[in-house]
Order: sequence, then structure tokens, then C-alpha cells
Amino acid sequence: MPLTRSKPKTKKHLSDNDYQMEQSLISSANLQAFFETLLQSGRIVVAPVLKQSGKVFFQPVQAYSEVATDYIQTAFSAKSVVFPKVETLFSFVRKDGEITLTDSLNRIPETVVWGLRPCDAAGFDYLTEFFLRENPDSYFKTRKEHTTLITFGCKEADNACFCTSVGLNPGNTTGSDILMTFMNEECYVEIMTEKGQQAVALAPSLFKASEVRQKDAFLAKPATRFSIDEIKDKIKHAYASAEWKQVSLGCFSCGACAFACPTCTCFDIQDEGTQDKGVRLRCWDACGFGMFTRHSSGHNPKNNQTERRRQRLMHKFNYSVDNLGIVSCVGCGRCIRVCPAHLNIFENILSVTKD
Amino acid sequence: MSQFEPKIVAFVCNWCTYAGADLAGTSRTNYESNVRIIRFPCTGRIDFMLLLKAFQNGADGIIVSGCHPNDCHYTSGNFHARRRWIVFKSLLDFMGFPTERITFSWVSAAEGSKWAELVDDVTDKIRHLGPFEDFNKLDYSLINQLNDEGLTE
Amino acid sequence: MMKALQNKVTELFENGTITLMIGFRGVLDKFAIPVFITEVSQADQLIWTPACLNNLSVYLHKSEVKQVGKIGIIGNAGTLRSLLQLISENQLKELELTILTINEQNEVIVFASTEELEVYVQANCPAYNPEDQALVDKLNAMTREERWKYWTGQLSACVKCYACRAVCPMCYCSVCTVECNQPQWIKLSSETEGNLEWHIMRAMHLAGRCINCGECGRICPAGIPLQLLTVQMNQEIERAFGGKTGFSAKSGYALNTFKTEDKETFIR
Repeated sequence: MPLTRSKPKTKKHLSDNDYQMEQSLISSANLQAFFETLLQSGRIVVAPVLKQSGKVFFQPVQAYSEVATDYIQTAFSAKSVVFPKVETLFSFVRKDGEITLTDSLNRIPETVVWGLRPCDAAGFDYLTEFFLRENPDSYFKTRKEHTTLITFGCKEADNACFCTSVGLNPGNTTGSDILMTFMNEECYVEIMTEKGQQAVALAPSLFKASEVRQKDAFLAKPATRFSIDEIKDKIKHAYASAEWKQVSLGCFSCGACAFACPTCTCFDIQDEGTQDKGVRLRCWDACGFGMFTRHSSGHNPKNNQTERRRQRLMHKFNYSVDNLGIVSCVGCGRCIRVCPAHLNIFENILSVTKD
Repeated sequence: MSQFEPKIVAFVCNWCTYAGADLAGTSRTNYESNVRIIRFPCTGRIDFMLLLKAFQNGADGIIVSGCHPNDCHYTSGNFHARRRWIVFKSLLDFMGFPTERITFSWVSAAEGSKWAELVDDVTDKIRHLGPFEDFNKLDYSLINQLNDEGLTE
Repeated sequence: MMKALQNKVTELFENGTITLMIGFRGVLDKFAIPVFITEVSQADQLIWTPACLNNLSVYLHKSEVKQVGKIGIIGNAGTLRSLLQLISENQLKELELTILTINEQNEVIVFASTEELEVYVQANCPAYNPEDQALVDKLNAMTREERWKYWTGQLSACVKCYACRAVCPMCYCSVCTVECNQPQWIKLSSETEGNLEWHIMRAMHLAGRCINCGECGRICPAGIPLQLLTVQMNQEIERAFGGKTGFSAKSGYALNTFKTEDKETFIR
């Protein structure tokens, strides 16, 4: 019987909801008070922080002063909040002949991610589809249920940003619980979900209701590199393109792009421990690694970088469309920035889909 | 309160130090019993990662010992080992690892009493330094955070 | 100056000396991007600016690159020293490549022999980056506990992407130690202890071989200054045994040789 890709039964996303979007305003001055309310509520607040190296990373913070504001994009995405770089699936201890198994799911704290960009929030939407659509992943599910996503629209973009080429834009609300857009001395607040409303309800006096506002004038205008509909069509025939070799020459098979990417989900299961105690871990993995597809027989179906890079790009723009109905690339540009050779995903897509 | 008894792992070469330890035994020398000996053909065989693995698996202190320079059973294994230890110790020092927990030594087959003295000194030193917990205290050092009840916070 | 470079490369293509030129092209924000030119018409993409930081010699490991044929490569200081070290380690045959650089006077140089390369490198390329030197000195002046806190803090951010290994010209093992899984000698998980294992192992495998181009730390996505580990290693080796890496095509390797007079102060 021929193998067919399972088609999603409906185009509706798991994270779509019937919540009626509300708008309100908060003054820029009160933003700090809202932030502090979130901190005081006992939630873990994860926000962008500027490190000594000059790069910005998402990490738990204790004060508003730690939050970075003057940057375009963080080095890594915030996916580690719902899909950590190392996650304990369960642990065991053996004592007096008895084995005790413990799982880690009852210890997930309420978390707020503050300072996402719309591309990142759309990335969370993809992760939800990926992890929950067919065989729901209980680890992801629990973490996602305990996470509130507060996004800020982008005032600036750089040459690696290309969200407008993948059907998104700097004011897009997909995946966010709350989207804030700076408009001079105020923030226009779009509350997209019940969870967003619960966060706002912690400090209702800081917000006042608002009419619907136009955001465009306050948002960045990243250059549009291609039309996603055209690409989705052309890439179906791109597998045999002669350009793959040339576009992959610069790649030296590290995992930087996959680990920085908000939608890369590949993982490895590792067991660590001794006879008496141990853990089973889920760790990030990357399709770029040479050994990623190697079988225990020694055979490696993708034993060169050309094939591996082709797999990565085809997955982002073609296979995830087949499987889940969405392009998994959100145009954040992190892969371009972290790549030591600055391999450029949108240039490469254009090369391989050239007529 | 019972006194902390350190676990000390000794990486020794078969021809010199192991024989020296054997001599200490046949001479009925009394010395501390905290050492577990791992026998290698030569110190040149000792991979630096093994020392780290010993600490990860519960060692509080380490002894590395072999033939005196020029006396190596395989002629030059200990010369290679010496270079390796110089470089490895420098790396560990630079990273802030407590290298005072590692003692390097040359003990020959005739030096049973030197072996006994070495073990006594090292055991005493480690007893004063206390248990090795630097790895346990690392954030997310999962395996080391497990206690008898299961995963700790 | 860039025109001179482009013209030279065009000439090398036209007279059949090279069929592939590894160099740099236009800048993304502040970075120059490695480029692989296979046709003479593409030579006008080549640039040379202070943003040309990558160590291009790492591409010489790749079979897809080697297959293209006669390779030309343009080197900054780090690249040129790596090439000498690779020749020293028998990974490259002398004169297998056409090696170019641009000197302080903005002249394009094509090295006619390995000796010419050695002379140039010894006269023009520093052994260590002074900023790295200053950081190593600062760390060495700290107490042990402060250093441990520094390194475990830095390494807790490592995600085990292995970009440091990927950009290193000296990491050319076809199967890395970390990829051996019977047994899993080095932990794969990217929690601090596993990260320490990886970086300690890597620093030891590079001690006496690394030429301190600094790429590993520069490109680390987590911003960890990894190059400091090998600066320290190489300085210790120089102090204890003499010899610098990357200045000769016949460097020895400190850890596979010895002298009976090697001295240390800590072996009882």
C-alpha cells in the first residue's frame, strides 16, 4: 500500500480560539508596573536580556531593569520555555531492590514570556501544531498550558528579517496571547486569548479600553524577498535543482541554525545514569549534523551536506506544508545571523526555485 | 556525627606503582583504606577524561601514579603522561577546577612505604577539603540531583 | 585594492591555475560572507575588508569543496597560519592550493611556495589576539573559585551546537569523540556538566595544535569566549615545552613528543 502523507483534516489551527479580541491601551510609563505585577504574581517571567557578549537571550528575570529593549532580535528563540534544550522525561531510583519512577510534569511553573516578536509568536503556533496535532506530546502540552506569550510589534528590522515573505508581518497576532504595539507614549494592546485577558486582569487599572487602531505607521517594513504562495508552488519541483550543491557549500554541519530557530523540533533521547539512578532526557538535535540520519548499520541515507541542507529547506517550505498545512519558517532571520558562514535561507530558496 | 570518609580513586601503572602498593601490603604496612586502585599497563595509557569521570561518579580525590622518569616499563609512556598532565592541570586550573584534589606522583615497585605515606597524606588532605560537590552544585546537573526519593527541585 | 584582487583571481581562472576560489563576498549588516566562486564571471563579487574574519581553511575538509578541483583561497592571518598547521599535520600537500592574501600595503600576494608563506606569516601574523591575551591574564589573576564561577556560568549557556568544532580547521576527525556512543564517552546533553566535558575534551585535543584564530569564540551562538581556553593551553605549552603553532610547515606536536628534561613542579 503506498505511503501517503497524512493530510490535516481541517485547516483550523489547534491554537485558534473563539476568544473575541479586545483592544486596550497602556501608557509606556505603566508598562513597568504591569511587568512588575506579573513578577509579583509568582509567575516566572522570561524576557530578553543583554549579555556581556553583546547578544540578547531570553532568560528568567527578577526586575524590569534587566529587560533589554534596544535590539532587533534575540540570538536564540524562546522555544526553550516549552521545548527545553535538555528536558527530563522521567527519572528512576533503585533502592533495596525497589525501583521508583518519577516524572517531571507536576513541577512546571506558570511562566510568562515577555518581549517576543510576532515571528516568534507564530513560531509557537507552529510548535503547537507539531507537538499536539496527532499524538499530543504531554511534556509540550503541559508547558504550553502554563505559558503566556506577550509579544511586542517590531519598530525596526534588519537585512536578515524576512517575515513579510512568509505570510507574516511585524504586527501579526498569530500565536500571541497579548500583542503590544508602541505608539508614541502609549502601547496599543491587543488581547487575543483568555490567557492574555487573565494576565491583564492582574492589573486592570493600568489599562484603558481602546478603539481599534491602525498599527502600520508604527511598525517596521522588512523587505519582501519573495511571495510565499509562489514559493510554495515552485518548491514542489525544487528537489532536483542543480543549485542545491552551490547553496550548501558554505555549510559545515553544525547545529546553530536549528538550535536558534523558533520552529525546529528535532530531538534526541539520551539516557544518563548508573544502575542505581538515572534519567531519560530529551535533547535538541539538528538535521544538519553528519550523524543525524546514520543508521546503526552504518548506512547514512543523507551522507553529505548538500542533501542535509536540501532536507532542511524543503522541510521548512514544503514538507511542513504537506504535513501540517503551514510553512514552518517564520522569517525571523536567526539562522542567517547565527550561521558562522551566514548562509542565507531566503537567497537559497530563491536560487533553487529559479526557473 | 560520623566523620566524612573520602573516596579516593588511584590510577596507577602496573609495573611500578601497583607493585609498590603490593609491597606495602606484603610488608603489612598500616595505611588508610580509602583508596580504590585502577590498574593500567602504563601511565601513558591514562586518558585525561577518566579523571573527570572519576569525579563525576563519586570520587572526592584522585591519585595518579607511575614509574619514575627513565624507568618506564615501556620506555617512554610516562614521559608522554607527564606532558599530558602538565597541560591538563593547566587547563583545569584555568577553569577553576580544584586541582588540589588530584595528586600526581612517581612511585616505584620498591617504594612501598612511599605509597603508604602518599595515600595517608592524600586521604588526610581530602578529608580536610571535604566531599567533592562542585559538580553536584551545577544547575541542571540532573544525575547528581537525584536523591533516594527521586528527582529533587 | 578589491579590483586588484578580482583581477588577480580572474587571471588565475583564465590561466587554469584554479577552478574554485574560496573568498568573501558582500556584507550582511556587519559580516562578510564566505563565497565559492566557480566561474570567472563571478570574480567581481570578491571583497576584502576588516569584516573578512572567517577562517576559510576549514572548508578544505569538505569533500564537496575538494571535488571541485584546483582550489584558490584568500587568507587573513588566522587562515594563513591554519594552512601552515594543516600542512604540518599532513592534511594538505604543499602547493596543493593557490594561497592569496592582501598585505598591509593593500597589495595582492600569491604565495609561490610554502617557504614564502612561512616568511610572510612570521613577519606579519601575531600569535595571539591582544584582547584575548588581556582576558586570559584577567582570568588568571582571579581566585580559583571566581574562575570556576566564570566558566561554569559561561558554559551553562552552551547548547552543544558544535559550531565551535564546525568552524575549526583543526577539527577534522571524520568521527568526533563526541559521536562515539558505545559507550557514550562525552555526554550529549547540554547541561553544564555535559558542556564542561565537551569543552575540556576539545581544549585538550586542540592543545598544541590550535593556532588561536579565535573563530570558535567569535561565532559561538551563545557568546561564550571559547578561544580563551586554547590561548591558555598554547601559552602553557610554549612556557613548558617551547614552540608556537602555525608559523612553520613543520611544527611538531607537543603532546606526541617529549624531552627527558621536561620540568614540572607538582609531581611528587
